[in-house]
Amino acid sequence: MPATRKRGRHAQGLLFVLPYLPFLLLFGILPMLYALYLAVTSDTGALVGIDNFTRTIRDYRFVPAFEHILIYTSVWLVSLVVLVVGLALLLHGRAGRVTSGFRFLFYIPGALAGASAVLVWLFMLDPSVSPGSSLLRLSGANLFVESIAPGRLPFVFAMIAFWTGAGGWIVVMYGALNTIPPDLEEAARIDGAGPITIALRLKLPLIRKWVAYMVILSFATGTQLFIEPQLVNEASLGLVPDTWSSNQLAYQLAFRYGDFNGAAAVSVDLIVIGLIAALIIVRRTGLFRTEE
Amino acid sequence: MRFFRRLSTPRSVSRRLGRTMLAGLTVLAMVTVAACGGGSPKAAPSQDSKELTVWVDAARLPVAQAYVKEHPNVHVNVVTFDGDGNGATTLQTKIQLWNRTGSGWPDVIFSEQVNDPVWMAQKPFEFAAPLTNLIPADVLSQWPAPSTAQCTINGTQYCVQDNLAQSVLWVNKKLMTQFGYATPTTWQQWAALGTKVATEHPGYIVGNIGDSFSHWIYLWGNQCPLQQLNGDKLLINPADAHCTRVAGLLDPLIKNGAVPPLSVFTPDFARKYGGAKDKVLMMPGPSWYAQALFDQTLHIPAGQITATAPLQWESETPVTTGQVGGGPWIIAKHSHNLKGAADFVVWATTVFNPSGKDARPGYPAYAPLADPWLKGLASSGYFAADPAPALKAAAGQIWTGWNLVSYPDQPVWSNTVVNQLVSGKSLSSRLQPFGDALAQAAQASGYTVTRQ
Repeated sequence: MPATRKRGRHAQGLLFVLPYLPFLLLFGILPMLYALYLAVTSDTGALVGIDNFTRTIRDYRFVPAFEHILIYTSVWLVSLVVLVVGLALLLHGRAGRVTSGFRFLFYIPGALAGASAVLVWLFMLDPSVSPGSSLLRLSGANLFVESIAPGRLPFVFAMIAFWTGAGGWIVVMYGALNTIPPDLEEAARIDGAGPITIALRLKLPLIRKWVAYMVILSFATGTQLFIEPQLVNEASLGLVPDTWSSNQLAYQLAFRYGDFNGAAAVSVDLIVIGLIAALIIVRRTGLFRTEE
Repeated sequence: MRFFRRLSTPRSVSRRLGRTMLAGLTVLAMVTVAACGGGSPKAAPSQDSKELTVWVDAARLPVAQAYVKEHPNVHVNVVTFDGDGNGATTLQTKIQLWNRTGSGWPDVIFSEQVNDPVWMAQKPFEFAAPLTNLIPADVLSQWPAPSTAQCTINGTQYCVQDNLAQSVLWVNKKLMTQFGYATPTTWQQWAALGTKVATEHPGYIVGNIGDSFSHWIYLWGNQCPLQQLNGDKLLINPADAHCTRVAGLLDPLIKNGAVPPLSVFTPDFARKYGGAKDKVLMMPGPSWYAQALFDQTLHIPAGQITATAPLQWESETPVTTGQVGGGPWIIAKHSHNLKGAADFVVWATTVFNPSGKDARPGYPAYAPLADPWLKGLASSGYFAADPAPALKAAAGQIWTGWNLVSYPDQPVWSNTVVNQLVSGKSLSSRLQPFGDALAQAAQASGYTVTRQ
């Protein structure tokens, strides 16, 4: 490709990302840099190196919070990948009218804003008012307290997150599947491939990068879990600790103790974990590899 | 937000971002509103400013509204919030933000959390104004000594309590007569009766232990040293006999269903024991249970409930009791209308006392107001017998060995004890973990903890 054309395409690309850039800078990059600055300084502004990090890691709530987040993120990511990809593949094999109906159905819960979705679930999880109370009772929960027992929480939060977030991803995956040229599918069918073989051996490898993209972003949002445990904490009058997730711990450090530097250190821990996970996934799946 | 959503495909990310934005905007809006109404340094520099911003919970909204009505020439900006109850961090978050931006503080705050003034008076918050120069000494002296003590931090008084929340024994007189039981006066008689009820009338209860404040009723009242300040050291000792013997007394009752580990404010509780079921035989609990719980929440019919004196441990004297609430009024030291703020607080605590259905929900902490309030309570027609003598006696019996601390202990109780009681563990087995968790919370807040 001639150099001038290449440069022209770069300029065009820049034009597309331009409207997003100021927001990315203001609400993404700058706060991150500020957090980095806070994390390596004391409340008087003096440089303290990794002091804030070692101090927060030794906090008695640090390890449990990260444990919770680890379990929650694993449960959520596995269910997201398996169910979202599975449902998208199923949808893609159906006739147009059925598909659009189901796409809409899947997407509806995602239209609720995060906090209100949690409020809906607070009712769903209370056996005395829930429409699914028989299911809750079957699972051994006769009281709200039992629905949100410590061992169940990662699964409860994963369920809430899946309910609100999966629909959007199913639509995205469906869009990805639509980019597969019909000839390919046709050729596979002529070669004797059944619908399952086509789905698993042809479609799935072709949308691999989309799945990787979903995993990276979902990993980052998963580790940043905040509003769900925070609202459940308040609604249950403290039955769920207010430092259940690492983001909540950062919040408590900042506002309960006025320790903004410690809070920044916990936030930086989360950025680092997210970046490492993203790097691994990008390298393993070749997400940004382009064929020239 | 819509703009963001269109730009980035993955909804979850845009939603997080949207949420952050929304939260930011809300905070900004609240700060702006508060700043406009209250203490913006530029807007209202002098103390004789007529502007006043008051933060109250839903239960204190009538007081603020009545003040506005009575004082048409004062411009009062009333903001309602969650009241900071149950260990919420609402006020801490707001005050940190106001402190960081250097403006926006309201003039007066009512908090449901009786320990809030402790952290409000200290670094890094430094929000509360000392009251001694703002409210005349002859007015301040009308609060009972234990109440004043709870508002005194490092020797300076920073708040006045709106109400006293002394614990008494609430009794369903109609049921007691019907079952032929005598009202207990000691914890031992109460427990024996609980065992009897469990066999003779299963389903009826003599108390409950599933609230975020149940430890204040059973452990505070029975002198269990879980937050006792001795000089600069905080004693947290759940192994003390005062703690273990109560747990031993309660465990069989929790097991046999006479004292269920349920919160009185859950739909389950109301359905099982409230209304037409009418299965609350007795219940140790605070003064504000009078109407807020029995009448308005559980809908127990009139003419059944009354209060009797707090239970005594065997024949030990003096009899002590616990406390659940007793929310304080706090004036901001940043206020540009300190005089107006003090006037509001004095009016709300010493004058406001409507009768009938508008009556104050809690026992007035300001002593001269207690008698008319008790008279109103007795004449409300709800009670089986006048609850006033028991409430009045209990007001002076709140155990002073339980000190207020800067961290909330309710969530610790809830998530180390209550959720375990629900899953069948005994209170005795949870006392030590409770003490450990309290000690961790105390140390994280900078206390030097001793364990025995």
